Amino acid sequence: MATVQVRYIVNDVDPAVAFYTGQLGFKLEMRPAPPFAMLSRGDLRLVLSQPSGMGGGGQSMPDGTKPQPGGWNRFAIEVADLEALVTTLKKAGAHLRSDIITGVGGKQVIVDDPSGNPVELFQPITAEARLGGRSG
Amino acid sequence: MAACFRYIVNDVTAAIDFYTQHLGFKLEMRPARAFAEISRGDMHLYLSEPARMGGGAPMPSGEAQKPGGWNRIHIVVDDLDAMIAKFKAAGGHFRNEAVQGTGGKQILLEDPSGNLIELFQPNTPDYRPPGSGSQAAQR
Repeated sequence: MATVQVRYIVNDVDPAVAFYTGQLGFKLEMRPAPPFAMLSRGDLRLVLSQPSGMGGGGQSMPDGTKPQPGGWNRFAIEVADLEALVTTLKKAGAHLRSDIITGVGGKQVIVDDPSGNPVELFQPITAEARLGGRSG
Repeated sequence: MAACFRYIVNDVTAAIDFYTQHLGFKLEMRPARAFAEISRGDMHLYLSEPARMGGGAPMPSGEAQKPGGWNRIHIVVDDLDAMIAKFKAAGGHFRNEAVQGTGGKQILLEDPSGNLIELFQPNTPDYRPPGSGSQAAQR
């Protein structure tokens, strides 16, 4: 059940929906309008907004600045087998920002969605490093 | 369970102060100077300074991670106008004015490093809170 919401700006909602549902295990919750979709994966709800004049999350700023994809802020999802997923993603033509990095608690890598938004993929090595593991 | 988000910040201490004092986050851990984990309900937010190692490490190309951009966490508030007034009085920076969307009105607040936080007040029957079932979409 999704209880945490984040918003990503995407250039095109359809390829983003295909990427998140096809490669990363998200479920499509709603697709009510061309510039908007709502996806979920466990407790995470991901809303995708395309820059548009339709109000809401993709609306331009008062000075005319359009929201755009990219940057470094990202959600992190836990995966069971990072190397297998990376192999699958590479075969599908996805762009990874680095090779797999092994840290204290686990292995991680950042993959870009079709608009260039980062997603952090994390495989814990220790029980303490499980995402949200301490609270159950 | 929980869901996790990572923000790159210029100063972890300033970010901890901002999120815990103004937005109801709780400090979970601060195991190193360049990293903290804070939480608000099921939302766990990692704060990473650009660093040599870990979540804020540079890419193999040498490109450094930095704050900013447009992707953001979403926080539901009861009284958006009151929150806006409070932040403005405290010197907070908003990137826009409040806008009305399908499910509610929202505004984009910046943290001390320029990362966005979407403050959202639901005010229409089309709103579906995180955690609601698919049925609510049919209303």
